[in-house]
Amino acid sequence: MTIGTLMIVGSSIFWYFLIHYQEKELLRNSVKYGHSFMDFVEKSTRYGMLTFQQLLIQQTVEAIGSAEGIIKIRMFDSRGKIAYSSIKEEKGNMLAKNEAICVYCHSNSGRSLEIPSWSLKTGKDGYRVLNILQPINNEPACYTSSCHAHPKEYSVLGFTEADISLSLLDNALKKQKIAITAYVLGFICLLSVVLCTILWNLVSTPLSVLTYGMERVAAGELDHTVKINTRDEMGELATAFNAMTSDLKTAKDELIEWGNTLEKKVEEKTEEIRKAQAKLIHSEKLASLGRMAAGVAHEINSPLTGIVTFGHLLRKKFQEGTQEREDIEVIIEQANRCSNIIKGLLGFARATSAEKNLININDLVNSSLNMVRNKADFFNIKIVLDFDESLPPVRADASQIQQVFLNMIINAADAMEGKGTLTVRTTKVEENGSPFAEIEFNDTGYGISEQDIPKLFEPFFTTKPVGKGTGLGLAVSHGIIQDHGGRIRVRSKPGEGTSFFMRLPFYIDKKEQNQ
Amino acid sequence: MKKGRILVIDDEDIVRVSCQRALEPEGYEVITVKSGTEGLKLLEKESFDLVMTDLKMPDMDGIEVLQKVKERWPGIQVIIITGYQTVETAVKAIRLGAYDYIEKPFTPEQILAVTKKCCC
Repeated sequence: MTIGTLMIVGSSIFWYFLIHYQEKELLRNSVKYGHSFMDFVEKSTRYGMLTFQQLLIQQTVEAIGSAEGIIKIRMFDSRGKIAYSSIKEEKGNMLAKNEAICVYCHSNSGRSLEIPSWSLKTGKDGYRVLNILQPINNEPACYTSSCHAHPKEYSVLGFTEADISLSLLDNALKKQKIAITAYVLGFICLLSVVLCTILWNLVSTPLSVLTYGMERVAAGELDHTVKINTRDEMGELATAFNAMTSDLKTAKDELIEWGNTLEKKVEEKTEEIRKAQAKLIHSEKLASLGRMAAGVAHEINSPLTGIVTFGHLLRKKFQEGTQEREDIEVIIEQANRCSNIIKGLLGFARATSAEKNLININDLVNSSLNMVRNKADFFNIKIVLDFDESLPPVRADASQIQQVFLNMIINAADAMEGKGTLTVRTTKVEENGSPFAEIEFNDTGYGISEQDIPKLFEPFFTTKPVGKGTGLGLAVSHGIIQDHGGRIRVRSKPGEGTSFFMRLPFYIDKKEQNQ
Repeated sequence: MKKGRILVIDDEDIVRVSCQRALEPEGYEVITVKSGTEGLKLLEKESFDLVMTDLKMPDMDGIEVLQKVKERWPGIQVIIITGYQTVETAVKAIRLGAYDYIEKPFTPEQILAVTKKCCC
């Protein structure tokens, strides 16, 4: 827009000066020709003047005056009389002293204007008219001629005046003006088109592409690339813009990635802390239970000793089969049950003090099974063994681990109500890069309901009928396995069976490892 | 003729009485005291074949009694009565020269068997 305006103003100024100069130059030429013409008139009438043939002069003036472009020719004498004129009627007229022509020499201010002179006026047909006034100077031929009309002292004998129509010049100028205007306008149009095309292709189009790109990027579309493949500054700008977008995307992706992993890490940590806390609470529970059990055991066992001893002493006094003897049997039995509960409780206290040796898990499973195999509860239970015979030894307290295995076996038998299949499987597993022995006790019993699973390892939690289970077996087992750096978990489906998995770390000989 | 003189040291009355009632009918002479200090005092005055001591007592624990007895009267056998048996204390007791240990609650048959094994 600005460029367009500047161009039009510039062209207008150029156009004006061009026209003006042209006009001035043409007018100067016209004036020059006008003077030549006057000289020509004067020279044509010279002979007539020298020989004072007034008719000849008049006819010559008339003839010349009838030429195209000549409006009139007049000759004055020094007194202001029109001596000859191309218009016959004027001949002999006197000019008043205030006539324009007279004023040239006889001005009131006494200052005579430059002669010969010329002036412009508008003619009747609307074209400009060039008026030229030229003095007829005195010369020897004049004052030495036979007529002796002019004294020698006169320098100017008269004037020749001519009105020359500038219609041709004006027409030419007009045509030229139109032509130049047309050329200038054409040039401006052409220039505008060329400039617009160049600007459009080199600036506007890439700019709109860039603007669109920026809008897309601002709207968050960081995959957007600006496609300008030129080698100019626009191309460089587009490349820089694309690089910036890609950097922005990388930075944003990193941030998002970071945010995601942070969230994940926080979750992981929270879960870890939660687990650790749960574990801590559990072991603290077990530890305090152990401490309490130790105290309770000591306090309760002494009265129990009394009950058991006196029970036995009293029993001897009654014959077998009597009601009294049966009653005393019940007392002793119940006292023994109390004793067993105390022993169960003491498991917690014992779990913390273990004597660890290298043990073979498979052998330990076998010896545990042998302890129960001949019991009535196991007559209808099929025992399936699936051992990994290459299982390396585990460093553990054999009696404690055996206690755990017995717990598992007895629980399985209880769950199957004396009928089903108990499968014991030993395998090698990896956990967090460390090797573990995994022992699975799988039964085909009634399973454990989902809501009971979290409470399974809590002390005194039992689903067995009152009097049958103390609810301490799994709690103690859990404590023992944990104390051995292992893990115990359960997988159960109500109605289908239960699997207990225990993991114990393999014994790794430090010396051997170093070698 | 008595089969043997047995000193029972336990802070619990019922345990002392239980021991007496379980062993006296079998022909053993059973003397009981409430604490380790009392027991050691009595040991200086009288002679015994066997000392049965509780492990956990207020003034002096069973391990200390065992040490002192083995120090001064190496010929007297010591049986540890324990409210709860742990591997450590059992191992420690045997290492220090205890003849055996018996867990509470025990039946008259159990304590008699241990005593018989010790004193014939």
